[in-house]
Amino acid sequence: MIRLEGISREFQVGDERVHALRGIDLDMIPGDYLSIMGPSGSGKSTLLNILGLLDRPDSGRYRLEGIDTTTLTEPQRAAARRERIGFVFQSFHLLARLSAAQNIELPMTLAGIDPAQRRQRVARTLRALGLADRAEHRPDQLSGGQRQRVAIARATIMRPLILLADEPTGNLDQSSGEEVVETLETLNRDGITLVVVTHDPRIGERAARRIRMVDGAILGSG
Amino acid sequence: MHITDTFGFAIRALRGARARSALMLLAMAIGIASVVLLTALGEGARRYVGNEFSNLGTHLLVVLPGRTETTGGPPPLIGGTPKPLTLDDALALTRSTTVRYVAPLIVGSAPVSHRQLEREATILGATAELLPVRNLELARGKFLPPGDPERGAAVAVIGSALKQNLFGNAPALGRWIRIHDRRFRVIGILKPMGESLGMDLGELAIIPLSRSQSLFDTESLFRILVQATTREHVARTERAVSEILKTRHGGEEDITVITQNALLGTFDEIFRTLTLAVGGIAAISLAVAGILIMNVMLVAVSQRTAEIGLLKALGAPGGEILRLFLVEAGLLSVTGALLGMATAYGGVWAMGHLFPDFPIGVPPWALAAALLVALLTGLLFGVLPARRAARLDPVRALSGH
Ligand SMILES: Nc1ncnc2c1ncn2[C@@H]1O[C@H](COP(=O)(O)OP(=O)(O)OP(=O)(O)O)[C@@H](O)[C@H]1O
Ligand SMILES: [Mg+2]
Repeated sequence: MIRLEGISREFQVGDERVHALRGIDLDMIPGDYLSIMGPSGSGKSTLLNILGLLDRPDSGRYRLEGIDTTTLTEPQRAAARRERIGFVFQSFHLLARLSAAQNIELPMTLAGIDPAQRRQRVARTLRALGLADRAEHRPDQLSGGQRQRVAIARATIMRPLILLADEPTGNLDQSSGEEVVETLETLNRDGITLVVVTHDPRIGERAARRIRMVDGAILGSG
Repeated sequence: MHITDTFGFAIRALRGARARSALMLLAMAIGIASVVLLTALGEGARRYVGNEFSNLGTHLLVVLPGRTETTGGPPPLIGGTPKPLTLDDALALTRSTTVRYVAPLIVGSAPVSHRQLEREATILGATAELLPVRNLELARGKFLPPGDPERGAAVAVIGSALKQNLFGNAPALGRWIRIHDRRFRVIGILKPMGESLGMDLGELAIIPLSRSQSLFDTESLFRILVQATTREHVARTERAVSEILKTRHGGEEDITVITQNALLGTFDEIFRTLTLAVGGIAAISLAVAGILIMNVMLVAVSQRTAEIGLLKALGAPGGEILRLFLVEAGLLSVTGALLGMATAYGGVWAMGHLFPDFPIGVPPWALAAALLVALLTGLLFGVLPARRAARLDPVRALSGH
């Protein structure tokens, strides 16, 4: 479903060229559960951004469901993000002025889905996450764990193929981190492909496939 | 994204930044209010002058003997020997259906005396029609009685200054005055009116036309004043008058017709230009509002970088983000403009109460123009921030750069 071949990404920092990714090869099949670990600056986030079509590699090929993504125009990439990819961020990125329900609804609003259907799906998702009584709360009225679960609901409301989480527990205490990981794993069991970048070995080790990155390259995978 | 959702999103974003939105609304409202108010003042001044002119008689046509090339100019100095205008010419003009009044005039100068006091005064030979045609008003007594213009009684209506000079504070009505060597009984005194059509209405005596003909020993009229039924009929009346007199003068176009429309048109033009100029100056405040909107929107874009990054990660294409920010700018502009118009109407209403004589009014075109200009200003100055937002790199935006 996903195939990366020789993906490289460089950044110009001042006079220096930083090799964030050096010739990454990676295959994934639907339903994979992958963790990416590695020291800071090893290129984990850069890899995730390329997987999520937020960034383009300087060289290499990225095939998503048989489509060569390097040939896609920017609006086509936006559409692919909308329909196929979900993001979960360390800092949640919820819009403070919107309620939990409105935040979850946002991707469907952007996709032009009609309001009745939107409300139905939001309500169902909130119930599944045990957040039904928090629907009208704003992010600042929610705990960190609840916020991240709202963010996960938003990332999956469009039923994407792949869910990309960049240190989803980085801002959470252990117990709410645990809750969040369980939420992600439940989604994975239901079929979504899950990629989690983490610094926490206990979380990383729960994944079926574990990738270790150092200095822009994949050291070993299990 | 549905258009209603776009608006909903924009409205929530604006409400989420109350202080910022209020500031922009205020700027736009002030700009629009000053444009509308100043154009209303300009329009008021135009109407004021227009009204003053209609007091003079906007339906008025002046027929003079002789031919001039330019209407509205002074009476002709040369041009052969034009046939004089006669009373019969004047009476012939009453045949035209668009003519309401015809007032033939003879003008001369003669000594006017009462007992030992004597003044040199302007003598107008006229008919009863002069009163409505020139909007003359009487302080006392009556005007010349209607009747056969060939047979006028020995009566006179005198100006207020002449009355003062001859009678002082003593009553003048019913007294006899002497004009040249003939006696006239005073039957009316005009209200002080100042000058009009270049004649001092104070130092004046008006006598029946037939009397002035024999007084000055002339048949030829100085002017014929013609009042059309309405202002719209002035042009038709002008053609009719020329036609009738041409026929009567053996096909010779030897008269000139002056209308006030030309003059009024000039004033209209001047005031419209003035209104536009004043409105244009006020529009500078709109530009200021526009620049403020641009700056505040730029700040908003930089403060909402992370949000823009998120929208992109959620699959909003650049065009969608551009649209969102433009709708925000447009909503602010139009709302600000509506507030400004309400303020301006309040101001116009207040001024209307304070100065009831001044016909202040908001011209409808100014409203439409203000709304359009506000929208254009908002969009124009909103484009730069919106494009900046649309072009943000999502990865950098998400990390808050
Ligand atoms: N936009 C950028 N401009 C310049 N350099 C960048 C940019 N993004 C990443 N880098 C550099 O690329 C390298 C990889 O960065 P990346 O964010 O992928 O690391 P990471 O593994 O996610 O680190 P961390 O665990 O700290 O999040 C780093 O050296 C980083 O400084
Ligand atoms: Mg990272």
